[in-house]
Amino acid sequence: MILCIADVKGKKIIEISGDIDMYSSPELREELMKLIMKKTPSMFVDLKKVTYIDSSGIATFVEGLKCMKSYGGRLKLCNIPPGIMEIFNFSKLDRVFEIYESIDDAISN
Amino acid sequence: MKDFISITIPSHPKYLSVVRDITTKFGELNGLDESVLNDIKLAVDEACTNVIKHAYRGDTTKKILITYEVKPQTFKAVIEDSGIRAQKNLIKGRSLNDIRPGGLGIHFIRRVFDTFTFDDSKKKGNRLILIKHMKGKG
Repeated sequence: MILCIADVKGKKIIEISGDIDMYSSPELREELMKLIMKKTPSMFVDLKKVTYIDSSGIATFVEGLKCMKSYGGRLKLCNIPPGIMEIFNFSKLDRVFEIYESIDDAISN
Repeated sequence: MKDFISITIPSHPKYLSVVRDITTKFGELNGLDESVLNDIKLAVDEACTNVIKHAYRGDTTKKILITYEVKPQTFKAVIEDSGIRAQKNLIKGRSLNDIRPGGLGIHFIRRVFDTFTFDDSKKKGNRLILIKHMKGKG
């Protein structure tokens, strides 16, 4: 997994590539928590290049979402590939996360 | 026809990607549909993750043995460890409506495999037997 965090006009965009599993999710969690500790108001997570996600990865996003909601922050997931989206749907998490087709859509909403 | 392979990996999360690659390759070689194969790959990964987390409590120096077997009508994966015995009555995922971190792995396993059984004859550790019946094959 490769993480790339960019600040575009004050908005945090996190681009993730590769597999998110039990091995890589602690790194993702650490980076999310750093931003959450700073009470980052909005995070835009680009999943376009994610090739795999397991329950550890899903749990990391659920935890991040819960933490952000506690201070009114928003975690937006964008560009979710169909195979990954299927996991979110099965887990009923498509009803919980704000999901957008692109970063631009997420920012404009 | 009956083909099987066995692999042993260290109980370190970095080797989960090896499990996924081998699961995929074994399934491809035996003609499994991509969508089914993706679900099986996730399920076997989750089973190994559970071994690392629960049976070995994060000890990365142990071993996990995975055996795959394919017959015309079934795909079987057996995951063995020498760790703490699973408490079968406690193995249940959270409700999918109860949104919180964790508790999804078991759902990912059960949604694709028709059989989820621990072999009680194993003296030490766990032997989890997962079987998927494949319609239209054979």
